[in-house]
Amino acid sequence: METNLIVANNLSFNYEASKEGISDVNFTVGKGEIVLLTGNSGCGKSTLLKCLNGLIPTVTEGELSGKLTIKGTDSTDMKMHQLNKIVGSVFQNPRSQFFTENTTAELVFSMENYGYDKADMQKRLKELSDAFGIEKLMDRNIFTLSSGERQMIALASVVTMKQKILLFDEPSANLDYGNAMLLGQIIQKMKNIGYTIIIADHRFFYLNGIIDRVLYLDSGKLKLFCSEADFKNCKYDTRSFNVFSLDIPCHKNSACKNTVSSLKNVSFKNILKDINLELHKGEVTVLVGPNGAGKTTIAKLLCKTYKPDSGVVDTDDLPFFIMQDPDYQLFGTSVINELTLVKDDLDSIKACLDKLGLLPYMHKHPFDLSGGQKQRLQIAMATLCEKPLIIFDEPTSGLDVYSMHNVVEEILKLKEKAGVLVISHDYEFIRHVANRVVFLDEGTIKDNFILSKDSISNLNNIFMHMQEERCNEKVKD
Amino acid sequence: MKVLKVNPVVLIIINIIAPSMYVFLNGKYLQVFLLIFAGALLALMGRFKSLIAMLAVYFSMMAIYTVTVGSDKFKFIALFFIVLVQSVPCLSLASILVRKYNSAQLLSALETIHIPRVLVIAITITLKYIPTFKREFSYILESMRLRGISFTWKHPIKSFQYFIVPQLFRCAALAEEVTAAGYVKGIDVPTKRTSFFEEKIRILDIAVLFVFVIGLAGGFLWKQI
Repeated sequence: METNLIVANNLSFNYEASKEGISDVNFTVGKGEIVLLTGNSGCGKSTLLKCLNGLIPTVTEGELSGKLTIKGTDSTDMKMHQLNKIVGSVFQNPRSQFFTENTTAELVFSMENYGYDKADMQKRLKELSDAFGIEKLMDRNIFTLSSGERQMIALASVVTMKQKILLFDEPSANLDYGNAMLLGQIIQKMKNIGYTIIIADHRFFYLNGIIDRVLYLDSGKLKLFCSEADFKNCKYDTRSFNVFSLDIPCHKNSACKNTVSSLKNVSFKNILKDINLELHKGEVTVLVGPNGAGKTTIAKLLCKTYKPDSGVVDTDDLPFFIMQDPDYQLFGTSVINELTLVKDDLDSIKACLDKLGLLPYMHKHPFDLSGGQKQRLQIAMATLCEKPLIIFDEPTSGLDVYSMHNVVEEILKLKEKAGVLVISHDYEFIRHVANRVVFLDEGTIKDNFILSKDSISNLNNIFMHMQEERCNEKVKD
Repeated sequence: MKVLKVNPVVLIIINIIAPSMYVFLNGKYLQVFLLIFAGALLALMGRFKSLIAMLAVYFSMMAIYTVTVGSDKFKFIALFFIVLVQSVPCLSLASILVRKYNSAQLLSALETIHIPRVLVIAITITLKYIPTFKREFSYILESMRLRGISFTWKHPIKSFQYFIVPQLFRCAALAEEVTAAGYVKGIDVPTKRTSFFEEKIRILDIAVLFVFVIGLAGGFLWKQI
């Protein structure tokens, strides 16, 4: 049919090295549709996206069968550069998203590859900067931009060739609530002017009400929902569409008077102003706020990475900091060895591994573990380290609902022995885990309260506020 | 003072020619000439920090050489450093290439000197990896500090292993990410690539190359005498 831009017929792919793949996938995508591609971690979402943008079979090796037609042409008959003139890909990770370090260089990069002359490039650059409101971001280092700004550059850079099919790989993972909602609005506007958009994500609250079709992958098998309503009525346990309507009981505040760390009148550069914060043993404090508010800076002050310009950072011992990317934190030659670096006591290590379900992997190299297993290994380190404060940086970014619940459980166990500080954008997760919520905005603490039945509305207001702040800024098409 | 802007092509050409000249020319002469040439170029470009760094590294290596060359026991150290020291001027010029120009500019520069495309892509990806490596390295050092695993000269091999192993594993993942980033942006288009940043080769660039060639020619004369 002519109206179907993308047609997949019995599409299967098996990786050489792992079992995660897709099998017998059949679906169609029509022009101007917004398609949500979802499913639990390892279900094959990324595999399917890679088939659509040609990275499978060009870069990733494995066995591909079945047929995939894009705009009437069999995708295997197209070279990467032909396919990518039709399909634009927005990756989750800036390292895969950007080839250059400079915003302008990035925007012209594909045009240069396709041999545009300079006048055409300048014209298109102007069009893009007007359309996405990014004049101010031109000629800047990409790694110094905020996540929201980076997202705009990423969006602009994938439509430079006027691609009309866009693929998004977990776009919400590193965006705050406001920026995610803004992305939802932009996606809808793009749909209205004729773009076809496929979004692979675990979280989809920002797409509420705008989805035409849902592709749900379960261990490589596809279940197709022809409308958002059908998907909402299905039995699959997923992240929710409407986070504010969730019924999650609050924790009783179990904090003791024991302060493990505190910041007194702390200011740092022009990022933080006069911060006062106390962290208690037995309490999970969640730090919320828009991208760039200074949340990570607070964590780094507690870790003594930075010294405050004024005020006092009071900590007895360095906290244990769980980074978002576990790869930077693993040094051991095996799981056991990794943990002996933390605490040289084999019995408690084994007990801890057993609790986290990592015992079968104890002799594996940490880098051979899956993403979720690596995170559990980090949590094992935090459990064994006996530090008074444990800091998590966005622990649920890119996690499905099951993995999120696991992290919640682990954190609740950790807080029995230590104070926990969590930086998070994830409303659902915050509701499950928080005892105290601290709202940081523009470098100051705007709110600090115990999360209880009565204060849920405060939390909701914070999220609403973040959304309004972002979405009321003028967004053009 | 107005600083000299040099076309990246010039720096690339110098970096290709200079090391290969060790085959033809007197090593001592070339070593001194390259040091003076690189020093002067860095000063003209206003890169005083790089200049100081280069001189510091150069002279400390020479100092180690002078101290160890007399002793039979440590002569191997001297030999090691005398080889190493010869690459210092070129490396400092190369470091300017990586820091001052973005990968798009480098890619354009490489295309103008008609290097095969496959090689151009390989070089660009390598150059792009350097700043990424630097950034990742600082994350790893920070994370080692927080874990209480610090670098100690008491156990250099063990310490070295701690920060090199994660990097090696990252390499594989990064290589795939970088390749993907290039491919989805049409790096494989067969037609000739154009350039947004292309800079014409100017008189000054030619002058710099001219001085460089004169210096090399001087080396041949020196050899004759």
